[in-house]
Parts: sequence; C-alpha cells; structure tokens
Amino acid sequence: MHKGSCLCGGVRIEATGDLVPPDACHCSWCRKQSGHFWVSTYIPQDSMTIAGEERVRWYRSSEEGARGFCSTCGSFLFWNPVEGDHIAISMGVFETPTQTQLARHLYVADQGDYYEIADGLPQRAQ
Amino acid sequence: MHKGMHKGSCLCGAVRIAVEGRLAAPDACHCSQCRKQSGHFWASTDIPKSALKIEGEETVTWYRSSGKVERGFCSTCGSFLFWKPLEGDYIAIGMGAFETPTGTHLEKHIFVADKGDYYEIADGLPQNAQ
Repeated sequence: MHKGSCLCGGVRIEATGDLVPPDACHCSWCRKQSGHFWVSTYIPQDSMTIAGEERVRWYRSSEEGARGFCSTCGSFLFWNPVEGDHIAISMGVFETPTQTQLARHLYVADQGDYYEIADGLPQRAQ
Repeated sequence: MHKGMHKGSCLCGAVRIAVEGRLAAPDACHCSQCRKQSGHFWASTDIPKSALKIEGEETVTWYRSSGKVERGFCSTCGSFLFWKPLEGDYIAIGMGAFETPTGTHLEKHIFVADKGDYYEIADGLPQNAQ
C-alpha cells in the first residue's frame, strides 16, 4: 500500500500494489501546470481509493483527458485519460519510501530552455 | 544582458503575467511542500513585486501554506504560479509559466534534504540541504 496526499491534506489517496516506474513529462502543458516539469506513475483506477474527492477540481486540458488538482491548495494530483482504465498520479504526493525510480523523460522536444536533463535516462522527443 | 519583457501564462490562459527586466537565475526547490504542490519539484525565479503585472488576478486562489507564505494557483486549471512571502518586496514565479526564451538558467537546488527517493539530481549544480 502506498499512501499520499495533497499539500493541505484535503485529498488523500491510497494505491495498492507496487508503483510502476514513473515518467517525467516536459510537454508545455505539464510545465505550465507543475511550474517546472511533471513526474507521474500510472495506476489502475480500481487499485486507487481517494478520500476528499469532492475537493478535486478537474480541468479538461484536451480531448485526451482531464487534469485534477486540489481546489484548496492547488496541488497537481492527477491526469486522467478519457480512454483506458489507468490514471496518472503525481509522484510528489506519495509518502517515502516510494520504492520506485524514474524511468524516462517524455516530450523533451518541448523542454524548457533554463535546465538540462543530465540523469542519463532515456529521452523521447514526444 | 537580456532586457525587455518576459511574458507567461497558466495552462488555461486565464492568468497572464508580464515581468519587466531580466529573470533572475531560478532555484529548484525539493521541499515536501513544493513537491506536493508541483507533483515533482518546483523551479522558480524571484521577481520584485514592482516588476510584475498580472492579468486575471481574480482567477488566482491563494493558499496560506505557512505562517508567512502564500502559494498562488489558477482556480480554473490549477497551474502552480506563485510563492509569495507576506512580508517583503519579491514574489517567486514558476518557471513553467514563461514563454521561451527565458534568457536564464537554473542556478541551484535547495531543500535537497527533503527530495523524493525516486529521482537523482545529476546536473552538477550546487545543492543546499535547506
């Protein structure tokens, strides 16, 4: 079981099972919403429970899915694709130890110009 | 030296910012509060309040994360935009908000004592425990 919460504690999550290795997304949308770039792990929706879900506000950022954040403190928590039965959860919410490691960088073609990616992990342009 | 205006916005575009002058070299903050709010860790640049113009400020929600600090995000899309000491004359702005080119570069990592366990910091920049 992995537990986590937003900054104010209004939204609490529990995920059963291991966390799959997360991706870092450097697309301009994730950069704007996170303030830097975004790292998330994919969870089957039926393995996650959310307490305080009424505090989650959803923003439909594209046809493909919606982004969820805490309406009280603004913590960026979820990316929920319309298709499929998985949801992406921010790694920042989880308590330590997460027992997983970043796997790769995505959308590096849209990376910001003020930082380098130097960790040697695989990078995809999209 | 890069002068002029730096523009930016939140994801949905309801909040737009303009900063006069060059952007100070940003810090990456790995404290648990910034990690929770950003979803990973947060990079921001400190701007004199007098150099910042905000359009759509009525769409910003302020959250008092500690006694002397407020964090600001867009109420519509949730973009994490601002970290503001209640006292003092500067405000930190999320680097993700800015249009390219930013004309600046990350300077250091702070609060690495609180960093997450699922990533390494490998860029060779200075690291402060706090």
